[in-house]
Amino acid sequence: MVYSIAFALGAAALLGAVYFAVSQVVDGSTDNLIEAEVQGLHEQVLVLSRSDFIELIEQRSQDQDVRGAVYLMVDPQLRPVAGNVPAWPKIAANEGKWIQFKVSVPFGDETRDHEMRAQRFPLPGGYRMLVGHDVQERQDVKSLMMRGLIAAVVLTMLLGLGGGFWMGRRILAQAGAISAVAKQIMRGDLSQRLPVRDAEDEINTLAREINGMLDKIEQLTLGMRTVLDSAAHDLRTPLNRLQATAEAAMSQLAPASPERRVLERVTTEVDRMRSTLDALLRIALAETGTVAREPVDLSELVASMVELYAPVSEERGIRLESSVIPGVQVQGSRQLLAQALANLLDNAIKFTPEGGHIRVFLRQGSSGPEVIVEDDGPGIPADKREIVLGRRVRLDEARKLPGSGLGLSLVAAVTKLHGARLVLDDAGPGLRVALKF
Amino acid sequence: MHILIVEDDQIARDYLAKALREAGHTVDVAVNGLEGLQLASSVALDLAIVDRMLPKLDGLALVQSLRATGRKTPVLILSALGEVDDRITGLRAGGDDYLTKPYHMSELLARIDALARRGDSGNSEANTKLKLADLELDRMTRRVTRNGKKIELTAREFQLLEFMMRHSGQVVTRTMLLEGVWDYHFDPQTNVIDVHISRLRQAIDKDFDKPLLHTVRGAGYSLREDE
Repeated sequence: MVYSIAFALGAAALLGAVYFAVSQVVDGSTDNLIEAEVQGLHEQVLVLSRSDFIELIEQRSQDQDVRGAVYLMVDPQLRPVAGNVPAWPKIAANEGKWIQFKVSVPFGDETRDHEMRAQRFPLPGGYRMLVGHDVQERQDVKSLMMRGLIAAVVLTMLLGLGGGFWMGRRILAQAGAISAVAKQIMRGDLSQRLPVRDAEDEINTLAREINGMLDKIEQLTLGMRTVLDSAAHDLRTPLNRLQATAEAAMSQLAPASPERRVLERVTTEVDRMRSTLDALLRIALAETGTVAREPVDLSELVASMVELYAPVSEERGIRLESSVIPGVQVQGSRQLLAQALANLLDNAIKFTPEGGHIRVFLRQGSSGPEVIVEDDGPGIPADKREIVLGRRVRLDEARKLPGSGLGLSLVAAVTKLHGARLVLDDAGPGLRVALKF
Repeated sequence: MHILIVEDDQIARDYLAKALREAGHTVDVAVNGLEGLQLASSVALDLAIVDRMLPKLDGLALVQSLRATGRKTPVLILSALGEVDDRITGLRAGGDDYLTKPYHMSELLARIDALARRGDSGNSEANTKLKLADLELDRMTRRVTRNGKKIELTAREFQLLEFMMRHSGQVVTRTMLLEGVWDYHFDPQTNVIDVHISRLRQAIDKDFDKPLLHTVRGAGYSLREDE
């Protein structure tokens, strides 16, 4: 927009200069003609008698060759003596050398006021002389030119504005398309590429380079997924053998034998390793962003998780309250979101004393939906909130409680995967965890 | 039951075959996907247990090929992968159930039992009225009665009972319940399912002499008419 205005102003200045120069030339040439005529008549008046001079003026006035030349000779009472102008123009004597006045001239059946430009000079005996030129045509040309120039400037401005608008629209449209695709990519759809036109302009070059970068990222991410899958496979397979071997041996043993009890401990450890492995793999999966996404009914999810955990909290003497607004949808993984919410609820139940409260909200926050889990347990000191989101951090007080210490890390990874923010806060007393989508 | 095991890991395969034979099943084994597909296509099977990552022909490709030839043999996929969306891919490929390694034999046995008996019990999907002893559940009117007496249940308890009745006589594990009733696939650290079951038990068994909802130690629960 600014550019198109500057462009129009530039064009106006250029055309103005042209107008000025042309006017100079046109005006100058008539003025020179008049100057020359005045000069000539000055010389004639010195050598000719008055009647001869009058004759000369009459003759010049009739001369059709000199188109537009006007003459008027008046006596001391300003009565016309000779010439083709009907009357001495009513112009103050103290006007400058050049005067401009209008004269009615026949134009077809009508008369028309024509602009005259002239010089006056005294003649001997109190007579006066006026020599000039009809500049109506010149005026016409100039005003025509002026109109043309104004039209040109307006047109230029419109073109500039229109062109600017069109180009702006084009760039904005492309930028819009790029940002839409970028959002999809951020949400994890790495197969998407920015739209590129054939043009070799900056924005397309940039888009092409970003696409090259995306190819690289997609390769890396797929590579990570492959590594993750083989790591999973290489850990699950021996764990599975361990479990199978232990179970096979157990089936041969009497229920209460010491050997069987040892093997039971082995399978318990296998279970624990499995849940740690599951958690780690889910965190890694969420962090690589390679999880399939689908529309998730967050309202249904939160409500059903609350419903799932309600009996167990009640059994432990904890009131589980909830307030869930309906109809909230997000793009993501229902299973991972459920797991994250389960971790938060498991934690809340673990840390809330009997007779305490857990409150779960799904509400509309300032920037989008928010899932909030609040408890009135011990909370997390403000200076340790950052740390607990790191991997495998368990505060001293929690060491005696069961758990892998990966719960909040998984919540953090799942939150990030869904483009949400995880905020730990003081619920006064207790902990407030908010997932801000 | 005639069961095919397609598994390349020898230790896992041998133990699985042994455990299934001990449970009274006829077992065929295949060590790679191609062999598995040949067996599955030529033998009349009641069930196939297919490892997801197999040499020669991938487990998912095996299931897809089997389904493409119109075979409806129930398939349980065993996976050693990262899970979460792998389960969805597995089920979309034509698998009927999906279990991640390492698993407990009791979990696997419960699941193959449920798979094999799907549809042939009196309490199949199509029936609107489910019945076990004097316990009756009407899916249309959402009414549950025991010995003619109306039992009030919450919506979730109703679903839970419906699931249990559909699998009456079988062992149902906690993860099967979490998957079947809530559609969640994770291991809660808290005994959420147990508490739901004990509430259901309160509702249907408390005022009656013969309990129907039994706990199966180390495995899960069973709704049945004995003991």
